[in-house]
Amino acid sequence: MKKLIDILPLFTFIILIGVLFSFLSNKNNQLETVLIDDTFPQFSLSSLKDSSETLTQYDIKKLPALINIWATWCIACRIEHPFLMKLKEESVLPIYGLNYKDNREKALELLERDGDPFEFSIYDFEGRLAIDLGVYGAPETFFIDSNGVIRERHVGVVDEDVWKKKFAKYLDE
Amino acid sequence: MNKFLTFSFLFLLTFGVFASTDRVFEFEKEAYPFDDNIKEDLFYSLLNELRCPKCQSSNLAGSNSPISNDLKREVYELVKEKKTSEQIKEHLVERYGNFIIYNPPVESETYILWFGPFFLVFIAIFSIIFFRRRHAL
Repeated sequence: MKKLIDILPLFTFIILIGVLFSFLSNKNNQLETVLIDDTFPQFSLSSLKDSSETLTQYDIKKLPALINIWATWCIACRIEHPFLMKLKEESVLPIYGLNYKDNREKALELLERDGDPFEFSIYDFEGRLAIDLGVYGAPETFFIDSNGVIRERHVGVVDEDVWKKKFAKYLDE
Repeated sequence: MNKFLTFSFLFLLTFGVFASTDRVFEFEKEAYPFDDNIKEDLFYSLLNELRCPKCQSSNLAGSNSPISNDLKREVYELVKEKKTSEQIKEHLVERYGNFIIYNPPVESETYILWFGPFFLVFIAIFSIIFFRRRHAL
C-alpha cells in the first residue's frame, strides 16, 4: 500500500501529461461547427460583378451547392482554385462564392485570369455574412443540401481528398 | 529585509498582468461613440470578455486583426440595439461556439476544465500531508 502511494505523484503527473498531449493532437476539434443543421443565414449584400445588384439568400437557387469563402489576399485559395474549377467543369455541383474582405477590382481580375468556378460571388467587404456563418478566415467551404440546410463545413483548402472524405457523401443522399 | 524587498519587487511585477487589457484608448472612444455611459461600459467589458477567433489567446480588446474589428463592430451595433450582455454573448456563441467566450459553460465536454484543477489541488494537498507526516516520523 505504501509503495503504491509513493508513486502517486508520478502517476498523476504522467496522466496529466497524457491528457494534455491528447488535446494537442486534437486540433480539428478546435473549431466547433456551430451552424451544422441550421438553415443558411439571411443576408443582403452586393454582387461582386455588379455593385448595384443586391443578392440575398433567395438567390442561392441551385441546391445542393457549395459556398466557398475566398479572397485574392488568401494564398491557400489559389491552391484550392483549380479544384473548384474542376468541380465546375465536371458539373459536380454549383458553387457560390463569398468574396471576403477583398478588393473588388482585384477579385474580378483574378476570376478573369484563372477562371470563375462560381455561379456568382457575394461581395462581403465588411465581413457581415462571414460573421453570421462563423467564418474565421479564408478559405472555408460549406455544403448546403437541397433543403437549404448547412450540412458540412471545412476550414482550409478543399482538394480531391477532402472532397471524398467530407463532402461527396452528401451528394448521394 | 532583503528578502522582503525582493518579494515586494516580484509582487509588483505581477501587476502588469492585470493592467494590460483594461486600457481604453482615446481613438477607440472616437471609433465607437456612445450616448450613454452604461452602454459604453457594457461594450468595453464585452470586448475584454470575448475572445478573438483568429488568435490563440487574446481578447477582442487586445486584438487589431480584421476579424476582431468586425466583431467589435458587431458587438457595438448589438449594444446600440440595447441588447443585454447575455443576449450578445449568445448571439456570438451561436456563430463561433464556446471558443469565443473565455467562460465556457459547465457541460460534459468541459468537465475537465472546471473540475480538473480542484482534483489536482486535492492530489497536491493529499500528497503534501502524506509525505510530510511520513517524514516527521
